[in-house]
Amino acid sequence: MTRAASAGAWRAALALLAICWACVGAADADRAARYDYLLHCSGCHRVDGAGEPPEVPTLRGPVGKLLATAEGRDYIVRVPEVAQSPLDDAALARLLNWMLREFNGDTLPKDFRPMQAEEVAAARRRVLADPLRARAAIMYSDAE
Amino acid sequence: MNSNDAIGRWLDTAAARATAGLAERTSRRGVLARLGAILAGAGALPLLPVARVFGAEADGGETPEPTGLREFGDPQSCDYWRYCALGGALCSCCGGSANTCPPGAEPSPITWVGTCRNPADGKQYLISYNDCCGKSTCPRCFCHRTEGAKPVYFPSKSSNVLWCFGVESNAYHCTMAAVIGEAPEAEAADESAAEQ
Repeated sequence: MTRAASAGAWRAALALLAICWACVGAADADRAARYDYLLHCSGCHRVDGAGEPPEVPTLRGPVGKLLATAEGRDYIVRVPEVAQSPLDDAALARLLNWMLREFNGDTLPKDFRPMQAEEVAAARRRVLADPLRARAAIMYSDAE
Repeated sequence: MNSNDAIGRWLDTAAARATAGLAERTSRRGVLARLGAILAGAGALPLLPVARVFGAEADGGETPEPTGLREFGDPQSCDYWRYCALGGALCSCCGGSANTCPPGAEPSPITWVGTCRNPADGKQYLISYNDCCGKSTCPRCFCHRTEGAKPVYFPSKSSNVLWCFGVESNAYHCTMAAVIGEAPEAEAADESAAEQ
């Protein structure tokens, strides 16, 4: 094997290692997010996110559509049980991203950008006093 | 001869013909074999008219308990590892088990979730404390453990709340403790560090 070919092989091996490392990291993040979901959310929203409508809303399906607007994106962090959850900003962002992918893959906008800790930190400080009215306002403006 | 005699004679003749026909067509061994097959097969069919809500939920996407879970302790004792934050009567003393309701009681789909350490393997597990509802309170094995539970001002983590929501009757019967997952190693390490 020539020196150039050997260097190429090394570079390919390193790239593969980096990809594997990233995969393992993503899998760990998903496991941690699912654990947080089960511990802090699943008691009411159920393990599969189906909820118990009308008392406990579902987290499946239509929730993804909220992410199409800036107000909707803001809303899902400002809902009291999300904003006041005992998770730090990074863990909350990780949980929301996992939840949206897991339960709303079919309704999530194609250009969805994952939530970042800073965005979550800013939004959760403005807890919604009346989430039902806020949700109706977002859905009404969406219909127009 | 009255009409009752005529009916009686007709019934006798019909019964005699039917049994004679049956005897011609079947052997005693054949009948026994078929009866045995029916009795053995009956076990596979849900014959009792009991509520099967929890079974239906399990089919509908509820997380089954982890396979290979090692058990530790007596499910009819408050010290059992899964009951580390259970407040209420144990379903396992009331005709149910650690993760099933007694017959006639309906499991509440709304619950609260905490974690307990299993001494058998040293791992933290997620425990769902589902109340079983629709019957009067079971008077046996009342426990009050609070590891990881919060006061009622934090209702989603309170063992003092009666969790009979989303069921036909809000009457509390007993509480069960279903394992719904295992804590990732990093989370388990955080929790044991926090305990120290």
